[in-house]
Amino acid sequence: MAHTVQPSPGDHEYTTTGLSHRKLLMWVFLSSDCLFFGALIATYMVYRGQSLNGPYPVDIISVPITTISTFVLLMSSFGMVQALSATVRNDQKAIQMWLLVTAALGAVFIGFQVYEFNAFKNEGLTLGVNLFGATFFTLTGFHGAHVTVGIIWLLGLYIAARKGRIGPATSLDVELMGLYWHFVDIVWIVIFTLLYLIGGFDAGPTVLPGGSG
Amino acid sequence: MTTSHVENESHHPSFMQYVVVAVILFVVTIVEFLLIWDRVGIDDDLGASKIPILIILSLFKFAVVIMFYMHLKFDASLFSLLFVSGLALGLIVGLALLAVSFGFEGKPRDYALANAVPYVHEGEAAEEHVAGEEGEEPHSGGPVNLSVGVVGDALQFDTASMEASAGSEITLTFNNISAVNQHNLVVVQAGTKDEVATAGIAAGADNNWVSPGDERVLFNSKLLDPGGTEVLEFTLAAGEYTFVCTFPGHNITMFGDFTVTP
Repeated sequence: MAHTVQPSPGDHEYTTTGLSHRKLLMWVFLSSDCLFFGALIATYMVYRGQSLNGPYPVDIISVPITTISTFVLLMSSFGMVQALSATVRNDQKAIQMWLLVTAALGAVFIGFQVYEFNAFKNEGLTLGVNLFGATFFTLTGFHGAHVTVGIIWLLGLYIAARKGRIGPATSLDVELMGLYWHFVDIVWIVIFTLLYLIGGFDAGPTVLPGGSG
Repeated sequence: MTTSHVENESHHPSFMQYVVVAVILFVVTIVEFLLIWDRVGIDDDLGASKIPILIILSLFKFAVVIMFYMHLKFDASLFSLLFVSGLALGLIVGLALLAVSFGFEGKPRDYALANAVPYVHEGEAAEEHVAGEEGEEPHSGGPVNLSVGVVGDALQFDTASMEASAGSEITLTFNNISAVNQHNLVVVQAGTKDEVATAGIAAGADNNWVSPGDERVLFNSKLLDPGGTEVLEFTLAAGEYTFVCTFPGHNITMFGDFTVTP
């Protein structure tokens, strides 16, 4: 293999664990990000069904639309692994194409989110109107920010790939990008299930038939 | 060479495996959607039996992405250890937060249940019909007819204020038009509604949520079931009063001023 040519410093340096420290750092970061999103998701769940006024989830959430955007994000993960695979094979055309496809799918996901946020705002849901708005926008907003950072990162890699700097010797750069991107993807898997599939039909704390009060 | 070298090139899944994973993710998402599809547009409480299925399906997707797309299955175990630790810690923190909020800290959802008002889409805001206050100009000593209703299933009287003159024979018709909520109507000294309501909770539903012998209470209706009506007849001395529903929690939003002029 062509590994003898200019190994990147981070990739092959000697470490006490025998593992790349950059990769270790990325996993530590993702691990801590679990806590970050765990706290935001738990906060949403704690305040679920406690808004005193609408709009409630059932009034505004569109599960079909979000299913499509979820699908887009899942497929972007497929693009990401193809980009890494092409990097290992040193297939320059494929590297560029898959990086760009991944970034584009991420951008489509963000487009859906912008559309959704705007629609919700027009329906009267803001960060301050009720507990649902506060916890929903904080959680999905931070997730959207993660995706946005990922898109910028992908575009940076794309530019580097255009200049021929991405290849087997620098595959760790793409692999770390992939770890981050897939992590953002799995966080969305959880959010989609809890906030949309399960929580999307919450009709507010209206009294259920049979109960009084 | 180091081991990191090896892990970067040899254990990656093949193209076909990546495709299979993508197809699995796609299919599971479709299944999840179909599971809840029959509920789209229905705003009842959900079929609780589907929640575990949805959670298991999403955990499955979660695991597949981590193991294959993030290569954790093929990578050094230290990475798995790090990530699973953070994941577990996050989960424990979340569960602890939920436990503190629901296990030990009272019942916030009950408060919400008792106090929420329904959401009205813009443009379809119902015309606020003001019932009550239809008695003519009150004149001292004469009979006064008043009526009070309820705003739908909201925890609100449809009348914000009533007026009569001292000594008038007041006939007050209270209509609980709500389809689901029980309500009563209690006339109390101004400023005491919350204390009266708190005392009423202790007295319980059998006493119509009003503490027997409470000096702050001047008159009260029975606890009316949805659709119930009661006519109260009474007179009041000049002063400021409040009419309130003392069903637990309702007093926060469901009250109005009752002014009796000399």
